[in-house]
Amino acid sequence: MSASYDDRSRGYARDPHGGREPTTGRSLSDALAEHAGQRGHVQNSTTADQRQGLPHPDPRTQPPSTAPGAPAATHVAQPAAGPLDSGPLIAPAREGGKRRKGKSGGSGIVPAESVTGSSLTLVIAIMCFLACLTAGAVYLINQSAAAWTRNIASEVTVQLQPLEGVDIDKRTTEVALYLARIPGIAQVTPLGAEVSQELLEPWLGEITALDAIAVPRLIALEIDRRAPPDLAEVGANLSQRFPGAVLDDHRQWQSQIRAVTRSMALGGLAILILVGAATMLIIISATRASMASNRGIVEVLHFVGATDRFIAREFERHFLHLGIRAGLVGAAGSVLVFLLMPTMMQLLGGGQIGVSEVRRLIGTGSLDLPGYFLLGIVVVVIAGICMLTSRFSVFRFLHARH
Amino acid sequence: MPQTPVIGHAPDYDGRMIRLQNVGLRYDHGPHVLRDVSFLLKEGSFHFLTGPSGAGKTSLLRLMFMSLQATDGKVQLFGKNISRVSATRRAQLRRRIGIVFQDFRLLDHLTTWENVALPLRVVGRRTSDYREDVTDLLQWVGLGDRMHGYPAVLSGGEKQRAAIARAVIGKPELLLADEPTGNVDPQMARRLLRLFIELNRLGTSVVIATHDHQLMDQFAAPRLEIRDGNVRIL
Repeated sequence: MSASYDDRSRGYARDPHGGREPTTGRSLSDALAEHAGQRGHVQNSTTADQRQGLPHPDPRTQPPSTAPGAPAATHVAQPAAGPLDSGPLIAPAREGGKRRKGKSGGSGIVPAESVTGSSLTLVIAIMCFLACLTAGAVYLINQSAAAWTRNIASEVTVQLQPLEGVDIDKRTTEVALYLARIPGIAQVTPLGAEVSQELLEPWLGEITALDAIAVPRLIALEIDRRAPPDLAEVGANLSQRFPGAVLDDHRQWQSQIRAVTRSMALGGLAILILVGAATMLIIISATRASMASNRGIVEVLHFVGATDRFIAREFERHFLHLGIRAGLVGAAGSVLVFLLMPTMMQLLGGGQIGVSEVRRLIGTGSLDLPGYFLLGIVVVVIAGICMLTSRFSVFRFLHARH
Repeated sequence: MPQTPVIGHAPDYDGRMIRLQNVGLRYDHGPHVLRDVSFLLKEGSFHFLTGPSGAGKTSLLRLMFMSLQATDGKVQLFGKNISRVSATRRAQLRRRIGIVFQDFRLLDHLTTWENVALPLRVVGRRTSDYREDVTDLLQWVGLGDRMHGYPAVLSGGEKQRAAIARAVIGKPELLLADEPTGNVDPQMARRLLRLFIELNRLGTSVVIATHDHQLMDQFAAPRLEIRDGNVRIL
């Protein structure tokens, strides 16, 4: 078996009969085969010099085993056990370390273990876990706040201040009848004195003498969301017609809830930015370390003609895999937390009352489908940060060396 | 300025392969390793680069391979002034050069096959396109049975052959070899020399750095001798 390196443009030519023969007479294959002559690859004992008139080595400097003018390849083609080739060429299959992949060049040029170790994976997984927890919590609070706002927006309250010499019950009925006639108000519910007292109890405690205090009466109105009335006009007409009657459209509550949820979202965003920045710094540090430890590989890659982009790709591939792997682990951890949240609230929230209060604040604590999708986005972002940061770091490292 | 000595087989060639003009080199603030070196190597030429140990042979090769910048003067490779080329252009120029390092520089975590295929892999060729070429070449250099082994299990001569195979797999226009026979016995050295001669016959310009006079005596090629930082042609 021999092959020919016959043509600079064609490269190696394969013999159609299965063997490999030089296609241009004297070829590199001859020289290479001659070089490997002791391996039995050379079938032809004619010297290369004889066929091509290659400048012949000075006979005076020929090895003693080669007679002056004798064909050089004759000497080479014979099995000769030189010191370098005296050992068996066929090594045990696993000698010198395990094979990583198939023979077709599938191994990473930069070994993964020299770039992304398990401790780095763990750190990035923790970062992703924190990011997912933050994103999920902000999402839950936003969802709950949106639900509160919706409920508050669909209800308004009318307060009737007690007036001297006026029967408050009769006045409440008059106002309720007036409001029931206004288009866009779906339901009018006058609340009795006992309800007003119950509402005050959390603030004033259980006071038996509460009857002695002139407590305003309340009328709850449910708004038809499809055709809501002009509340400002309703409030103005009401105050004009019934002195001491005030319409409260809960705008203050709504704005307060919005302010709180916005603050929480900003806080969550700040935490996410910090987690992202910390991840970037970790990756920059890890990339520098891996570039330094793989300096020899980088040099060889440059010497064989690799561009900086190629080298950066080799590194960023590992960091992308790291980001995906660690991101999924971190996200899985956070999903577990959200799944266990109701049970944890039960165990840690101080019984059924505490649970219901927490639920009122943040809902059930479980994520819905869009919430899980959000966690997926966090994983993608973390993986992207890992990849892009490593690429940037590799370019900076290489640029500094040029 | 003295006329630049012209060496090579093609006197009418415009000198696009390697041209050094008044090149000086020193490391940091140390003494000059090379000073006022000028020569022109033609396409298809074959040269030995010789001189005593520490004379600057490797430094000169590194200049030609663009892994060092000349302190003074101008180095042109393939007609390009290499001090002005971008990193990307430098990579493209290096793809036209095969280099054999004195210490082989094989990547230990890659198999012999993968090491040899590396220059083709970095230029983005598909494995299926070069699988046979690499396998054939490895068989030709007598490493057919070693192609799936790692460099750690190869002998010095086998590593040398793998390094040479890696240097020639991309069919370079210029081959630079730094003491390619430094680790082998005279018989193997002679075989390797013949390999380089054959490459040269196929059109590759060859520069072999060596201080092995016995090797150089086997082939009548021009010699660039470095002595005291100067290069003279023998």
